[in-house]
Amino acid sequence: MKTDELLINMGPVHPSTHGVLRFKLTMDGEIIRNCEIVMGYLHRGTEKLGEMKTYMQFVPYTDRLDYISAFPNNYAYVKAVEELAGIEVPLRAEYIRVLTLELNRIVNHLVMIGSLLLDLGASTMIMYGFRERENALALFDMLCGARMTFNYIKPGGVREDMPEGFIPKLNEFINDMDMRIDDYEQLVSGNEIFMGRMKNIGVMSAQDAINYGMTGPSLRGHGVNYDIRKMEPYSVYPDLDFKACMRRECDSFARYMVRIDEMRESLHILKQVVDQMPQGKAETHAKYGIAPMTGAPTAVSTYFPRIFTPPPGEVYSRIEAPKGELGFYIVSDGTIKPYRIKIRSPSFCNLTAIPKMVEGLMIPDLIAAFGTIDVVLGDVDR
Amino acid sequence: MDPLTIDTTKIKITRRQPVTAIDKLNDTGLISTLLAAREREGLILFSTIDQVFNWARLSSLWPVTSGLACCAIEMMATSMAHHDISRFGMEIFRASPRQADLMFVAGTVTKRMAPRVKKLYEMMPDPKWVISVGSCANTGGPYHESYSVLKGVDLILPVDVYIPGCPPRPEAWLYGIIQLREKIKNRGYGAKWGLNK
Amino acid sequence: MNPAEEIKQLFPDSVVSVGQQIKKPLAIIKKEGLLEVAQKVKEMGFDNLSVITGIDYGDRFEVVYNFFSYVKKQNLVLKVVLGHENPEVASLASIWKVADWLERETYDLVGIKFRGHPNLKRILLPEGWMGHPLRKDYDMNVDQFVTIGEDGEDIVSTDGSNLLRR
Repeated sequence: MKTDELLINMGPVHPSTHGVLRFKLTMDGEIIRNCEIVMGYLHRGTEKLGEMKTYMQFVPYTDRLDYISAFPNNYAYVKAVEELAGIEVPLRAEYIRVLTLELNRIVNHLVMIGSLLLDLGASTMIMYGFRERENALALFDMLCGARMTFNYIKPGGVREDMPEGFIPKLNEFINDMDMRIDDYEQLVSGNEIFMGRMKNIGVMSAQDAINYGMTGPSLRGHGVNYDIRKMEPYSVYPDLDFKACMRRECDSFARYMVRIDEMRESLHILKQVVDQMPQGKAETHAKYGIAPMTGAPTAVSTYFPRIFTPPPGEVYSRIEAPKGELGFYIVSDGTIKPYRIKIRSPSFCNLTAIPKMVEGLMIPDLIAAFGTIDVVLGDVDR
Repeated sequence: MDPLTIDTTKIKITRRQPVTAIDKLNDTGLISTLLAAREREGLILFSTIDQVFNWARLSSLWPVTSGLACCAIEMMATSMAHHDISRFGMEIFRASPRQADLMFVAGTVTKRMAPRVKKLYEMMPDPKWVISVGSCANTGGPYHESYSVLKGVDLILPVDVYIPGCPPRPEAWLYGIIQLREKIKNRGYGAKWGLNK
Repeated sequence: MNPAEEIKQLFPDSVVSVGQQIKKPLAIIKKEGLLEVAQKVKEMGFDNLSVITGIDYGDRFEVVYNFFSYVKKQNLVLKVVLGHENPEVASLASIWKVADWLERETYDLVGIKFRGHPNLKRILLPEGWMGHPLRKDYDMNVDQFVTIGEDGEDIVSTDGSNLLRR
């Protein structure tokens, strides 16, 4: 008697919230023998559009890459432009940026845990996660007027200063969130069914994980302590006291627990930022460039020109986004538009590890392991 | 913590309450029923059945999960507890299009995804409605000049309601759904079942 | 010592020049010697290949590799300059597994071929797409449409009449 292999298609439209991604699975009964990933259903051509817009006009496109956490995308691009052009940023703007980055890290991990549990069949955690997310989005709304696509961090600083009454509301959020994370741990992490579905699933050695280009919290679940905030510190992170969270067992449960730890560390960082926030201006005077656009001076154009030309050159700069290492490679030829922008997205490189990780597992295990890699299709396809 | 305090006593209702008798008669939908009956040369009885079917259809539209990009996250946020979409009966997003009657096209429709979205639409049974959400699905949005983006989902599907925004706030989603309900209320779909023959 | 200068000492005939890319050591390599230099770079401890970028200047192509070492906390940038007709370079997919998909993406969007790659197909655009979009001579006015063929595969054509309503 002979068995044949079955080709199953988990098509672009499937009822998990990760987006339009297609798996072509070759199965032997219930066990996956080979997994091929087909992507590109959301390829929008962001890199080509970058060549048609000026540097300031490209910032809204970076919001839509990893749409759950949009501030780190903004910041990675703006950091690359600032390194290329040699722009100095005032200290208060740096503190506001770190505040938004860490708040966005919490939001991202909430959505990730919520959708992971929704895929596994539990619908309570996503309700709790989105309830907290609404509180954080109300803070963002107060800060920059938008809930998801912010367009707030610009080369030279931030678009405008924090409004009155922002810090007291932020403190309320921090105190609230402290209690809620304990709630989540009690609800989810000790649950037998959850542990049974996540422990020893999706195991991959640390050497393999590094070779497959995994970065970020997924890699720190494998025992590799690679956190760009510690290795190549940027912004005001050298002045803040936090630790990079790491777990040693290389399975899905470890990758999940790293995110819970990271949420706590982010709250710790937020408290320090609120304490250490300096007074002063949040925008900067330009050091060079074409004269500001004519017209009535607004808060932006008085200080910093909307159209500027960095010197010719290339730069690659990276930050620790909530999903991994996010980097922008910008080539400038001395005109007002960039010559080439290449986006190194964490979800694309984390996804290369999935075909190796799921050989020998069953389909529900694929869903559990895939959920802990934390993939967002806007980032994969750009 | 209350994220947004809205004082509802200070909100003015923009839709005018019917004042005269004719306004009140118009508001019940009876006049549009009679006019529809006269159009289709059907009986008044079946046009009242139209009304009943319309009410049943608009009260619990079941959407199919076809969120493609960033607007899908706002779809999730609208269906969660804070802005509740289950007040319209839509809390179950059916995974299979054969069991759904509403499709939210939320997100950028790329050229590669377009035949799949069209196939999803064709798999839904009649009567079905399409709401195009976000500027990418309306006209291509910020990616209009890109080489791989379809310039609006209405190039491949008939769309009933367009919701602008990038992404639209959940309040705008709910307003768009209310517009769709008004549209369903004012049409006669009983004719499609051949009840007037 | 600078990692780029180390490489220049070990492979003096493969290295064209050594410089800096905004505080990162840069070495420009001839395309014939890329595979040996890459092996040596991996032995030197650069186990994180961050990004592979393909750039189309009008008269040449360039491929840029950015490396980072966890152990030594150092950066390194390698650059290969290719001619404009038939750009082709050796593939690093056997050394760093992440290069597999990064090189497929570079082939897809810029059109640079990688010798020795296990599976060089398009990854972000459908199979039959005509042209490489990130080249400077790509024609943006031609609209290509995708329909689904017999066995579920994509068919690309410039005629979208069976898909569009108007």
